[in-house]
Amino acid sequence: MNQAEVTKLVSQLRIKVNSRLRKFRNPKGPEERLNKLRKTVTALIKHERIELNYPRADEARMYAERLISDAIRYGDCHKTTMEMADYWLVEKQLIHKLFKVLAPRYENYTVAYTRMLPAPRSYPGYLKAVLELKGNPYPSLLPDTHTNRNLIHNVLLDEAKKAYRMQKYKEIANKVEDRVRAEAQAAGAQSSQPVDVKSNTENAEVSESSQKELNKEVEVKDK
Amino acid sequence: MNSLRKQLNCITSKSYIKTITYRCLATVTEEITRQNDIFVAEQQRQKEEVGRIEKIEVQYEGVPANETLVMNKFLSTPYDCAKHLGDKIRDKSVVALLNGETLWHMHRPLPDSCRLELLHYNIPNPAAVNKTFWRSCSFLLGAVISDAFKDNVNVQLHSFPSPNVKSGSFVYDVQLSLDDWKPTESELKVLSIEMIKFCQKEFHLECLDVSKDIALEIFQNNPHKTQQIPDIAEHNGDKVTLYKAGTHIDISKGPMVPNTRHLGRITVANAIKLDTDIPGGPIYRFQGVALPAAITLNHFAYSILEERARILNSARIPGSQGVDNEDNSFISRIAQ
Repeated sequence: MNQAEVTKLVSQLRIKVNSRLRKFRNPKGPEERLNKLRKTVTALIKHERIELNYPRADEARMYAERLISDAIRYGDCHKTTMEMADYWLVEKQLIHKLFKVLAPRYENYTVAYTRMLPAPRSYPGYLKAVLELKGNPYPSLLPDTHTNRNLIHNVLLDEAKKAYRMQKYKEIANKVEDRVRAEAQAAGAQSSQPVDVKSNTENAEVSESSQKELNKEVEVKDK
Repeated sequence: MNSLRKQLNCITSKSYIKTITYRCLATVTEEITRQNDIFVAEQQRQKEEVGRIEKIEVQYEGVPANETLVMNKFLSTPYDCAKHLGDKIRDKSVVALLNGETLWHMHRPLPDSCRLELLHYNIPNPAAVNKTFWRSCSFLLGAVISDAFKDNVNVQLHSFPSPNVKSGSFVYDVQLSLDDWKPTESELKVLSIEMIKFCQKEFHLECLDVSKDIALEIFQNNPHKTQQIPDIAEHNGDKVTLYKAGTHIDISKGPMVPNTRHLGRITVANAIKLDTDIPGGPIYRFQGVALPAAITLNHFAYSILEERARILNSARIPGSQGVDNEDNSFISRIAQ
């Protein structure tokens, strides 16, 4: 039972890994296939956004993801990782970029480091794709539907948020009311004035703290 | 319908059944045919009435470039102008804005030379577009409801209130001959699917101004609409504006989206019995939520919208006193 867990030996990628690798058309054999992919991975690390044929993009993405995740996992003092970087990056100055720029950038990511989007086809049947590193300095390829709060889905979401908040406030108000009522009953026949003042101040404290709680809750929900 | 299909199954081969069921059973009742005949005849008459064709100049403002188009008076629509500007613009425009102030349905002929802007969902302030979309959703919901129930349920469309996106749901108030109906999950799902199917047929939403008499003739079997029509006509220069999608015809002030394919995600969220004094049976408020196909939303966020749409919409509840259709005039100012 003292076996290492196989799944933890290599870093788990956050993209779908194809069960079968593509061969591509290579008169010079499998080595040439890797040379092609090296070129693509190098270009991706260098330019951070490239447009190319879909199969090559899909294939190169897996190698790029693995390279970056290894760089994050082992750092630049690990011999095997350095050798891999040396192999996959044709232009050697990019090795510095990998360990000093990309690894810190992606350290805390919980999602994939690359993004692949379908691009317009040049000819029917020939799929194209854009492959990019996340967090690149270029303007986004996807339309921005978030900042404009007047768009229909944002209007609906904002109103839903408002309604949710109102409902929560109401619940809290009810709770406080119940508590005050219970206290008043407990006080019973005792002189009513001091009790009233006390309950009022308590009431204010409770509502403040509950509002904080609520704000936290709502924020969490927003995220 | 199923039993009829079974009977037909005994007699004929499968492919033949398909055509027959499609032709005979697919919703086209006598009443609908009658309404459509009147509508189409009137549309034809209005087209022929134009007579000698005059030219107008339409100055288009917007992407890709400002242009001047020479179009036909009383014949060309903003949709025709959009066709000249390219497929992309034709497909994404929702509603036209004439001279910077009047919202104009895409399939409504232009009466005069004008400045033309085409609005879509992704502009900086799309309040008017959203309203248009919401109104179309109500209208299409009516189309689906009038068709979805079995023959033993009497369905009379009543009206829908002025569209309010902030309320979280679009609404259609319908009179059903069901006493205390609470829709189950699966019933609502079926309604949603029916609406999606209807929208996938990609019907154009046609628009027509008709006189009071013709409107009364079209809606002679609907007591509520018959009651509403005189008042609507009074506020609209003795005209009633009708909209048609597929075979469904309804009254609305407009404007609407040009095609049913504009609707992307659709959910019919709830049907709630209303407390009203309208004679003839209980009124149910059907509610739903939808998003344009151009706007994608993740399923979690959409489920929040769905949840909210289940709560009773606070729009005015129709009563026997006063007309509560939203249609007072066709032209809706952008300042609304």
